[in-house]
Amino acid sequence: MPPRRQQTKVLCVAEKPSIAKAVASHLGGGQVNTHNTGNRYVKNYVFQYNFPAWGECEVTMTSVLGHLVSRDFESRYNNWRACDPSALFEAPIQTYIQDDLKPIAENIKSQARFAKYLYIWTDCDREGENIGDEIRQEALKGNASLSQPNRIFRARFSNIERAHIINAACNPVTLDDAQANAVYSRIELDLRIGACFTRNLTLSVQPLFHQHFGNREQGLISYGSCQFPTLGFVVERYLRVRNFVPETFWTIKVMHEKEDIKVNFRWARNHLFDRMPAVILFERCLAARIARVTKVQTKPTSKWKPLPLTTVELQKCGSRFLYMDSSRVMTVAESLYTKGWISYPRTETDQFDGGMDLRALVQKQTQGGPWAGLAQALMNGGFSAPRNGRNNDKAHPPIHPVNFVEPTQLDAQERSVYEFVVRRFLACCSEDARGSKTDISILYGTETFNASGLVVLARNYLDVYKYDRWTSSQVLPDFQEGEVFEPTEARIQDGKTSPPGYLTEPELIALMDANGIGTDATMAEHILKIKERNYAWVQPRGRRPQGNDGDDEAESGGEAPPAANATRGRRGRGGARGRGGRGGGVEGPGRGATTGVQEFIPTTLGVALVEGYENMGFEISLTKPFLRKEMELKMKAICDGQRTKAEVVHETIEQYRDVYVRTQQRLNVLRDAVRKYCLGPIEAHNG
Amino acid sequence: MASGNGTGNAEEVTASISAFLAAKHVPPTQAWMTAFISTIRLNTPIVALQKTALFRLLATDITTSTTKSAASCFATNITDPQVKERQVRGPITVQLLDVEDIGRSRWSQVEAIEAQERGETTKGREVIRVVPDDNGPDAATQNESKSSGPHKLLLQDANGLHVYAMELTSINGVGVQMAVGAKLVLKDFIVARGLILLEPRNVEMLGGKVDAWDRKWKEDRKKVLKEKAGVREGGG
Repeated sequence: MPPRRQQTKVLCVAEKPSIAKAVASHLGGGQVNTHNTGNRYVKNYVFQYNFPAWGECEVTMTSVLGHLVSRDFESRYNNWRACDPSALFEAPIQTYIQDDLKPIAENIKSQARFAKYLYIWTDCDREGENIGDEIRQEALKGNASLSQPNRIFRARFSNIERAHIINAACNPVTLDDAQANAVYSRIELDLRIGACFTRNLTLSVQPLFHQHFGNREQGLISYGSCQFPTLGFVVERYLRVRNFVPETFWTIKVMHEKEDIKVNFRWARNHLFDRMPAVILFERCLAARIARVTKVQTKPTSKWKPLPLTTVELQKCGSRFLYMDSSRVMTVAESLYTKGWISYPRTETDQFDGGMDLRALVQKQTQGGPWAGLAQALMNGGFSAPRNGRNNDKAHPPIHPVNFVEPTQLDAQERSVYEFVVRRFLACCSEDARGSKTDISILYGTETFNASGLVVLARNYLDVYKYDRWTSSQVLPDFQEGEVFEPTEARIQDGKTSPPGYLTEPELIALMDANGIGTDATMAEHILKIKERNYAWVQPRGRRPQGNDGDDEAESGGEAPPAANATRGRRGRGGARGRGGRGGGVEGPGRGATTGVQEFIPTTLGVALVEGYENMGFEISLTKPFLRKEMELKMKAICDGQRTKAEVVHETIEQYRDVYVRTQQRLNVLRDAVRKYCLGPIEAHNG
Repeated sequence: MASGNGTGNAEEVTASISAFLAAKHVPPTQAWMTAFISTIRLNTPIVALQKTALFRLLATDITTSTTKSAASCFATNITDPQVKERQVRGPITVQLLDVEDIGRSRWSQVEAIEAQERGETTKGREVIRVVPDDNGPDAATQNESKSSGPHKLLLQDANGLHVYAMELTSINGVGVQMAVGAKLVLKDFIVARGLILLEPRNVEMLGGKVDAWDRKWKEDRKKVLKEKAGVREGGG
């Protein structure tokens, strides 16, 4: 074995300190030396490792804290009044490293100096590829020879489990520049468009608040190309509820008692919104007197076990069953991933690859937890292949438990999420629930009525997946086709339609997903943003809309947080902090109660913005999904190598420039909406 | 009998076309025929003239353009709610004055119109507002706002009498997309307490439209639906 000094050195860089530490401990065995760096969160872990391609090497494993590089316009553009906001579409962008991250960059540069290979261990998604590129550039500054071919590699891993990490370490791949570029274009577009429209919006609307309230409390009014469509959904539902007009409907109900069982038959027409025809039809039923059974059908039915778990599903279920909002669920899931309990929680894939050893994963869950017995039953012959969804992002498998951990070792929220992931996985490997359904139709006069009964024969997956319900209805008496009877009771009944509820988080996520807003990785952030920017807040469901003017009193709309976005963890543009800063949302009203379903209510400012932009004309439509959806599709095209970053940036800028110009011409419409909702009645003399 | 090429004889042509139209249950008045004949070239092939005549007649108000007889019109007391049921043989030709979907709330129909006005249904700008559920083979997509029908029609016979009719079962071509002023021929139908009950076998759709009425109907539709949603409590 060559003396240490001549050993090949490999520099490994992960995205966060916790990953670096975990990988180092897996690869280094017990022999890891830890050194401090200029940043108190980041350590350098030094150990020996024998790579198949490179032999015995001295490895230094370190990390960054999310994005290293910040981007902003040159300082001469800082004065809002010195240039038209649209100048930002072309203004040069400079990259720099914030002061608190400089030591981290220095660390990479200096460690790279002695390294023969650079091995990147950022998370395997688009942002990770982009951060990988930032790391690469920094390393090249310290050691230009790394730019030679076959010097820079990347690890592909989906969880932090030892065998998996070792396998990843031995099979390096290269950085995907296409994905990195997709993120660069997103960053540039968000910066240019966000800054331009934020300035425009604030300059147009902020003075109204200052004038009206006589103070300067109203801060920035910010624009984001994802947040606005997200807000658009919230406002649209809010207005639907507020404008709802209840209507009376009429329905005919038939009940027949047979074998001591009361069977309720439902009208095939459901209900009618016109009384006269309903009454006339009812009279004709009564005149017919006798009903005839036209169909009796008993057939097996099933309730399908759930699909393998994706990020979107996790967020929806987190809201519905675990009483955690989407950001919280993702934060907890990330923590479970980092600790090696579950696989990478950002994935769109809802099908398990054929080569995966799912039984081994089920076996691990027989070790304990309230599901141990159920897992054992699966091992004893109850195992059934999971359903395949239609999505495969080719990067990560569906979210699944990687290892067993005693629930008592986790905190309450981690336990709740881990349990959900386990139960979902075990449910995927179980059988569908089976039952028997009987449908009966009768003809009474000219009208058809239906009844049905369900008998649950085998609960199967329902035993482990306690989040779904399926219960037997009452047993139906026997009916024969052709049988006739005089119904025990027939009556006509009226009712009133009622408004939908305000948007809940699972509904919002589903809408964003269906309309192409945000990716699995970003949806939770957009939702968080509209809360942070005081465009919407959440309240527990159950509080019905008030008739009084509680919602309409003028609110100042609140301060926008400073541009550094320090709270947002590793995805933030600048100064992201890997520890500590994670996981808080804004403590808005109603936030305290995390139990029960939460619904979104827009603030007056939120409503004003959406209505203002809507009234400007639908071709502009910043609050409708399609502009952002197109942008997301273009991002994907860059990843797939079909389009270049330059093309996409240019094209999208032109699209938004067009919108900007039209917006400029109709600003009064926006101001009127703000006046209407935030400032009281419209005053004719205001400019 | 007139054959392929027109004979050029106004009387014969008039008679031939009148007979054709009468067989289609839209017998024209003499005044209408005279006006029509003055617009055509008599030596045009007769089949073409018949088609043109029918097309034009279907675009008129039958209370002025067609002849009336007791057999071809409703009995004047047909809307009497005291009469539990009566059978009518017909054939009776009517024109459509209004059509409503009574299986959906008016308000949901207003919302659908507004969504369209906001451009949400234009290709490339669709906004999906209802997300489907994945629950199994029996997942009934309970989407009430999408239901179509039954439809209630306001019909007018050649005498100008207004009568309501309702689809008992779905009739092809009946729906809110129907043109106002379209003509239908009804036969062998039941009238229950003044409401005509229709099934496919009772109805022959002749088609046609009265432009001015149809345009106005479309313009007023949202307003009318709103009124019906907000103001209307009882039915009928």
